[in-house]
Amino acid sequence: MSQRKGFYLLTLLVVLLPLLFPDNYFVTVVAVSAGLNAILAVSLNLLMGYAGQISLGHAAFFGMGAYTSAILTTKFAWNPWPAMVAGMILTGTIAFFMARPVLKLKGHYLAMATLGFGIIINIILVQAVGLTGGPDGLGEIPTLSFFGWQVDTDLRWYIVIGSCMLLVVWLALNLINSRSGRALRALHGSEVAAEMMGIDTTATKTGVFVMAALIASLAGSLFAHQQSFVSPDSCDFFFSIELVTMVVLGGMASTYGAVFGAIVLTFLPELLVVFEDFEVMIFGAILMSMMIFLPQGMFVGMQNLLQRLTHRRSALPGEDPNEPA
Amino acid sequence: MNLLEVEGLEKSFGGVTAISDLHFEVPPGLVYSVIGPNGAGKTTLFNMLSGIYKPDEGRVRFDDHDLNGLLPHQVAQLGVSRTFQNLQLFFNMSVLDNVMVGCHLRSHSGPLSGALRLPNVRREEELTEHWGHEALEFCGLDDLIGREASALPYGALKRLEIARALASRPRLLMMDEPAAGLNDTETVELRALIRRICDAGITVLLVEHNMGLVMQVSDRILVLDYGSRLAEGSPEQIRSDPKVIEAYLGGEVQYAV
Repeated sequence: MSQRKGFYLLTLLVVLLPLLFPDNYFVTVVAVSAGLNAILAVSLNLLMGYAGQISLGHAAFFGMGAYTSAILTTKFAWNPWPAMVAGMILTGTIAFFMARPVLKLKGHYLAMATLGFGIIINIILVQAVGLTGGPDGLGEIPTLSFFGWQVDTDLRWYIVIGSCMLLVVWLALNLINSRSGRALRALHGSEVAAEMMGIDTTATKTGVFVMAALIASLAGSLFAHQQSFVSPDSCDFFFSIELVTMVVLGGMASTYGAVFGAIVLTFLPELLVVFEDFEVMIFGAILMSMMIFLPQGMFVGMQNLLQRLTHRRSALPGEDPNEPA
Repeated sequence: MNLLEVEGLEKSFGGVTAISDLHFEVPPGLVYSVIGPNGAGKTTLFNMLSGIYKPDEGRVRFDDHDLNGLLPHQVAQLGVSRTFQNLQLFFNMSVLDNVMVGCHLRSHSGPLSGALRLPNVRREEELTEHWGHEALEFCGLDDLIGREASALPYGALKRLEIARALASRPRLLMMDEPAAGLNDTETVELRALIRRICDAGITVLLVEHNMGLVMQVSDRILVLDYGSRLAEGSPEQIRSDPKVIEAYLGGEVQYAV
């Protein structure tokens, strides 16, 4: 199916980029950030796009993963791998206990609650100076190594994060087209009907919330080791908003849309640097016009447009090249 | 043995009594209709039977299970499914996906095996798709399989809700005003569909305002008025019951049979 073709295309893109443009700043540095953002956007999209539960605090889970890895490896000299797992366990547990009360809320109220949660986590990271280094953050985080293969160059990080992104995309695509994925989408369509079809909506919401948090935590740990530095700024409220923007910009309820949104939103500011003072203004204008002209999101909107064009083409008589004249 | 037994059911919303001291039994294999003027408590009754509302008093028993205190998905697990008065379809999904959600209780794979797309998940998906096709075919929707639910006309949406409910293979199917908004041809088709469902061994509990349909399709009828039981019996008995004629039909007998 086209889902699978899309995945092959994405894999091809990830593999070809460093081969075509070796040592290019945009590939080895910006694309790595884009990959991390794509992981986060795909996980948030599971929660927001598919299950319809908005979260304005997704960066907090990212931050929890990043800080757990940072603290355990620098202050307690843990190996990065168990630290990463510890981060996921911590984040997953907090998400689990938070999910029940918070996901009872809907719409704006849910947005406010998750926003509050994100801010609380950020304040803790700033205030707990002894553990987190406060506003200055934590540095000298060791890098990852796979059985002696040190991930110590930009290209190696590209490989690691690129593979992780592909894995997360693959899992998300599979999940959405499975029984549990249908349950998620059903919950978005009509909660009462989903219940009546035998779906435990509370458990399903909790499940997707925890899953999104676990993926975000993983991305956070990768981020900490890749940057070898974390600060509260890297997981603040604005980053949560940026993630939501990525999902909406790419197109809600589309995994490729989320990846696309993450790529655009990571590259755009880098490309707009040439406009210097006008950078932020142009950035805002682009976002606005995107939403006005492609309200379903860039990726989904363009996909629909393309489909309509090809349909119209095939509907016209005499244009079919296979048709005998 | 009755499939559904309702005893002394009560429900009020902030001092307004919606259902009071209601009792009735539904034997298996019948089309059992609940009628009554607007605001008589029919939808409230459905919502209590399906676990959406909690009754203030009384008991609901379904096939020897106490339904009191169960959540809708637990009620569904016992073999009860329903359609809704205002369409509650998954408009963000395709027609086939809608009925495949209906098969949720007949399949078992979890999120992890789904994300990894293990071989047994693939088999289950094929089977679920097959069940989905079956349910759509049963309701005469097979030519709409590839469409998005949001692109369907109203009459087809009504049938899609029934197909989705049937996909769960319920023993009791509750239909809340399935004929509302349908034209005459569609209503005739609906009548045939309800009979087919009943013939397939599924007990049907029907709330409907279209008297012609109710009189033709029902085996038994319960008449509600102000939340309590006014009369119960076969269509003939109901038709000639003076209380029903008085209260429900406003003194004149007029059905378009």
